[in-house]
Amino acid sequence: MIDPITGLGLVALMGALATIAGAAEDLESDVGSQSNPNSQVQLAAQMDFPHRIFNKAISGEPPAYGLWCATGATVASVLLAQNMSVIFAIAIGSLAGAILLGLFSVTAHMGRTASQKRFKQPVYMDMVIGHVPSIMAHGFIAVFCIVSFSYIMFEILGHPFPLPLLAFLWGITAGAIGSSTGDVHYGAEREFQNQPFGSGLNAAQSGNIVRKAESGLRNGMDNVWACAKFGGPVTGLALGWTVFFDNWRSTVFSGMNAVIAGLIIVLILILANRLVEVKARKAYGPYKDEEGGAEPA
Amino acid sequence: MIIDPISIALITLGGVLIGLGVHFIPVGGAPAAMAQATGVGTGTVQLAAGAGLTGLISAGFMYNFLATAPGGFGTSDFILVLASGAVGAMIMITVTMFIGQLVYVYCVGVPPVSAKVDKDPITGDRQDIYVSQGTEGHGVPTVSFVSGTIGGLFGGVGGSMVYVQLMQIGNAPADPAIVALAGIFATGVFYVNAVLASYNIGGTIEGFHDPKFKRVPKAIISCLIASLLCAIIAVPIMGGVS
Repeated sequence: MIDPITGLGLVALMGALATIAGAAEDLESDVGSQSNPNSQVQLAAQMDFPHRIFNKAISGEPPAYGLWCATGATVASVLLAQNMSVIFAIAIGSLAGAILLGLFSVTAHMGRTASQKRFKQPVYMDMVIGHVPSIMAHGFIAVFCIVSFSYIMFEILGHPFPLPLLAFLWGITAGAIGSSTGDVHYGAEREFQNQPFGSGLNAAQSGNIVRKAESGLRNGMDNVWACAKFGGPVTGLALGWTVFFDNWRSTVFSGMNAVIAGLIIVLILILANRLVEVKARKAYGPYKDEEGGAEPA
Repeated sequence: MIIDPISIALITLGGVLIGLGVHFIPVGGAPAAMAQATGVGTGTVQLAAGAGLTGLISAGFMYNFLATAPGGFGTSDFILVLASGAVGAMIMITVTMFIGQLVYVYCVGVPPVSAKVDKDPITGDRQDIYVSQGTEGHGVPTVSFVSGTIGGLFGGVGGSMVYVQLMQIGNAPADPAIVALAGIFATGVFYVNAVLASYNIGGTIEGFHDPKFKRVPKAIISCLIASLLCAIIAVPIMGGVS
């Protein structure tokens, strides 16, 4: 059993690693366009809007990240068993995960785009060459950080799950968080900057994504540039909070006290959500008048 | 050949709780990612699995601590592990919903609103006039947030129950092979029930106030059958046949 101060330090380090991992995970899904917002990228060509946005939805983000992280952690575990240094083992493991991500990205992009030939959507080879290294780089950072904090949990804090299983489960969580938080910035805002700000996407506008960039034609790089300003960091915050709060309560408290501390965190978040809701309703106001009729002046 | 019926029953109950929990979680699927539907902008299975498996990590930690301590593993310990799993899942889901809400409010610029009810059953706030044109609501209103938290509770308890029961059958809390097997089986049972519930939901649900929630009994029957089959396969593999 480690002393509480060291334990808290490790939990803080895990939270920091998770924050970087969450941000990198979300930004990778923005460069490559994965998960739910990609439905619009896929739809755009079919609605006669050919584009230069990288189109890869290998699978939902959680199983995808479960796979990359489990691969990284498995390679790292094998290398650790051969007495390799921890950092090198995790780095090489993460590289294996990133290579797998790169392979899937190329096949997913080419397969999806080629299947849209009838809609006159071209396969741009320069996009494949330009985007895949960036996807792999973001993926590498995410996998490295997730495997690293899983390693701390497994080796130092003494979690009973084997490293690959732990990284697999955290990978699924990271994907679920990235898909639920940061992707909304990409899907609801960045893809539809041609629509008025301050409303959800009108279903009639589905597929009409922004195809022109600040300079030239928009691609995944332009999207990640914008999403790195809000969606990425808040996704990092979400994964960081999850990892930090969940481990903090079990490090500082034990038994039923840890459960009560967790419930208090949950209660605070419910109240905080209510405050944000009230603030948003006051700031933006209704879209229709009180009778539910015409738009207010 | 005897298979312990209590283990089978508890694993099945865990599966049913997971299926039930998924119905509480407000997910808007792909439309919610474009602020076209109320709820979190991801798939039902994805979010439920993310929350439930975070709970499983917490439960695994707690189980290891209690089962390897002198004095053995009693009923109060069992409850503590379930509570730990539930709180782990609830923390994940509330953090995700809260941060998702920040994106909807401060990035997309929409107020959280439900399109399924005229007034929020918890706060009493008017909903219909806050729905933007051409959408089915957006964000996570208080009723959906509370519903999601309850979903995390059920999912976390269900996943932990399956894991603890499998570990009890394995009867070797410190053996990494048994831990890995129980962990993977618990994950598998989680996915089976989350996917079944997802079919029942059909893409999007706002929470317990959504009319789709009335379909829960069907999901409970399907999850009961599926989890029973999973339990019958899992128990002998974990060494639960005498």
